[in-house]
Amino acid sequence: MKIVVPLKQVPDLVEDLEVDATGKALDAEEVKLKLNEFDDQALEEALLLKESGAADEVVAMAFDGEDVDKMLFTAIAKGANKAIKLNGSSPTDIHQLAKAFANAVATEGFDLVMAGVQSADGRDGHLGPIMAEYLSVPCISVVAGVSVSGGQATVQKEYSGGMLGEFEVDLPAVLGIQAAAQAPRYAPVSKVRQIQQTETIQEMDAGDLGAGAGSAISSMAAPEKGLGAKMLDDVEALMAVLKDKGVA
Amino acid sequence: MLSTYEQIGFIVLVIVCLSLAFGRFRQIYQIVSRGGKMDRFDKLISRFVTTLIEIGLQKTISKARPFVSFMHSFIFFGFSFYLLVNVNDILEAYVAGWTTIGAGSIAGVFNLFADLFSVLVITGMLFFLYRRFIKKPKVLEFNANVKLHPNVAAGGVKKDSLIVGIFILIHVGSRWMGTALHLAENGHTDAWLPTASILSGLFTSWSPGALETGIHVTWWLAMGLIVVFLPYFPSSKHIHMMIAPVNLALGRQTPRGAMDAISDPTSPGATTLTDLPWPQVLDTWACIMCTRCHEVCPAHESGTPLSPSALEINKRYFVRDKATDVINGSADLPMLDYAISDDALWSCTTCYACVQVCPVGNEPLMDIVELRRKQVFDAKMPDELADVLRSLDEQGNSFNESARKRSKWSKELDFKIKDATKEPVKYLWYVGDFASFNQNCQDTTRKVAQVLNAAGIDFGIMGKGEKSAGNDVRRVGEEGLFEVLAEQNIESIQKCDFEEIFTTDPHTFNTLKNEYPKLGGEFEVKHYSSLLLDLIQQDEIKLKKNLGMKATYHDPCYLGRYNGVYDAPREVMKLCGVETVEMPRNKENSFCCGAGGGRVWMPDHEDMNQRPSENRIEEAVSVGVNNFTVACPKDMTMYADAVKTSGHEADMAVMDIIDYVMDAMDLPEPTVEAGADEAAIQV
Repeated sequence: MKIVVPLKQVPDLVEDLEVDATGKALDAEEVKLKLNEFDDQALEEALLLKESGAADEVVAMAFDGEDVDKMLFTAIAKGANKAIKLNGSSPTDIHQLAKAFANAVATEGFDLVMAGVQSADGRDGHLGPIMAEYLSVPCISVVAGVSVSGGQATVQKEYSGGMLGEFEVDLPAVLGIQAAAQAPRYAPVSKVRQIQQTETIQEMDAGDLGAGAGSAISSMAAPEKGLGAKMLDDVEALMAVLKDKGVA
Repeated sequence: MLSTYEQIGFIVLVIVCLSLAFGRFRQIYQIVSRGGKMDRFDKLISRFVTTLIEIGLQKTISKARPFVSFMHSFIFFGFSFYLLVNVNDILEAYVAGWTTIGAGSIAGVFNLFADLFSVLVITGMLFFLYRRFIKKPKVLEFNANVKLHPNVAAGGVKKDSLIVGIFILIHVGSRWMGTALHLAENGHTDAWLPTASILSGLFTSWSPGALETGIHVTWWLAMGLIVVFLPYFPSSKHIHMMIAPVNLALGRQTPRGAMDAISDPTSPGATTLTDLPWPQVLDTWACIMCTRCHEVCPAHESGTPLSPSALEINKRYFVRDKATDVINGSADLPMLDYAISDDALWSCTTCYACVQVCPVGNEPLMDIVELRRKQVFDAKMPDELADVLRSLDEQGNSFNESARKRSKWSKELDFKIKDATKEPVKYLWYVGDFASFNQNCQDTTRKVAQVLNAAGIDFGIMGKGEKSAGNDVRRVGEEGLFEVLAEQNIESIQKCDFEEIFTTDPHTFNTLKNEYPKLGGEFEVKHYSSLLLDLIQQDEIKLKKNLGMKATYHDPCYLGRYNGVYDAPREVMKLCGVETVEMPRNKENSFCCGAGGGRVWMPDHEDMNQRPSENRIEEAVSVGVNNFTVACPKDMTMYADAVKTSGHEADMAVMDIIDYVMDAMDLPEPTVEAGADEAAIQV
């Protein structure tokens, strides 16, 4: 059984995010990219399936970009069998991104696509469902547990309030992964360096991206800051404030 | 003299036992030579001469347990002299008329030594048997959660100790008694043999025949026994007397603070015993199982499942069991199966106390790092550690903070610190992760800046050009990440124009000083305590006040034990008018705060009954001071916490040496608005 995991880079939230001069996007100069954390969960769950013997092959896939090679080599260092890099820059439109990944997944062949349930920059959770539509296969999203046997996957879907629903789905299928059974593993740097020297990343054409969603960001802004809170040390300070405001 | 039959019998016994013993020694050689490469064969003569002198002066054993070491010296010197005694006794058995009794003053002196040492060895041995079997000190025991080889758990060490102890008593006791029988046979005492002369009084009534038989029996019990024991030696703890000197002589001569690089990057670290570098395999037989290492180990002391002593002892009992399998490579089991548990592996603070105290030159700490290297390579580690390593890889710091915020602490100063990446400075300040990002440390960091600024010192920082120096990254076993961090830092440093580096962080100091040179980064580097001392002595920092206070000082492991910087911080305190009251565990014997070796990134073990830092605060309280002085940002955060959790917040202030300098300079406290950082919480 073959699992394909599409990976995407998102802005690293440890940096202060700045909106650029157009007011419609983040300032690319200030942004540092890292692997979307849900994609990391999806990759971990795929690797766990491989290690349990349920899957034979895990393929990591991503659009080209800064540091993408390192990200893909890291996926191999963690245990993926193969990495594919799509030529061109990653579309910001989720429909186009899904179309490109669907094209590549169809070319590569798959039993399961395991995508992160959503991304920090997209926040719409559409990648899985749209890919499934393009691939004409079923899709289950917000998945927190996967097991596979005999051409079927049994998946746990997490509902609000922590309720779990169990589904059986025929393969091939697309899953949107919320969480893996364990924290994403660490890839030791020496192993990644070693993989960089011994493995190669396969390149693939992104193909027809389609029309896209037809929607675009009209403006982007940081949340307005409140007036701020003041931390008080003791009751006396609190009383002073209350007296000052005339409530005590 | 022995009868002809006895003479032949003894020779046959020697041949049989020597060949059996030879097989056992050969096994040791074969197992050790399966270990990883390590060049320790340079300057062989000087290595062995130095070691023999050190052993002769009993230097390595005198580092701890003074009384026990004194009793051990009885046995050591006695046994050393007994080498001569044994040669003499063989001559006595084979050469007609050979005797040292009444044979002149040289023989007399020999007899005197033999006589006194016999009593001393017996005294020493009785003491050790009393200690192990009657007094049973707690330090000889392992915490209940420590992983033990089944044969160790079944009391193997006690059994071995008893066998060796009885052997020594019989061997030496018989020889001593034999001499007394000789004296009784001669019908007089001998002033050169005072104790044997007293003992001979017991035998005056014996018939000549009985005395003759007695002489033969005691000869066989002394000399026959030692030969019979030869094959047992290599698997007993007594083998330490042969392997320990070799282990000490072929020991590490590189700086303590420089870890061995990995030999094979495609398969770093160790899984099995013979994956370890050979000197660490040799440790297996050098160990005398004295448990001095776990007595000083902060992890064992605090109740976690780590005992460096158990690690070495388990190794020994494993090879006792599986020597043949290890030699032919068929069953060299993972060390995590028998030598140390996984949670113990991550309990080590790499404080070096175990290595420092070991009388036979063992390095259990290095085994732990080798095993960690392999675990990290296989991505098997605590989740919290994985998160920190990811942060170090992505952000260059352990706080998962943006690299851009590294010098944010300096924004609250009323002057600007030079950017050393942009303009020349005399001193390049390597601030380090904790001093830069930890809120418990930032005040101290700002004070260092204030002091230097007030003294008009030309210094600067690298801001986001500085990343974690990687000292503890290397010690958790992530060698690849350490190399990347070091390479990036070396590149940043080399772009700066400066004369000297100083750092506020002992961990950073250690790796910059001892490990960066091998990666191409040769820099002059100082700990800030040394810099402060220099500046005070050169009158660049002008101290105006004598603080007239008392304080104790905690030696950070990576400053003190690793790098021998003990005096500079104490001198600085003295010049500020702070009298140092030493804690019992000071300098070389300082007790780790519990943060090193990556421990600060991992949660405490659930079995921990008292944090090492709390233990240390209690030690400080016991010497009657109210100021606990540190010179390491990790210490500041560990002890600021420990005074609270141990209930000593009111009577123990945690001070950094810079606090004293600042007060003595009469500088105003930094005018930082309380909680300026937190003031703007969004609503």
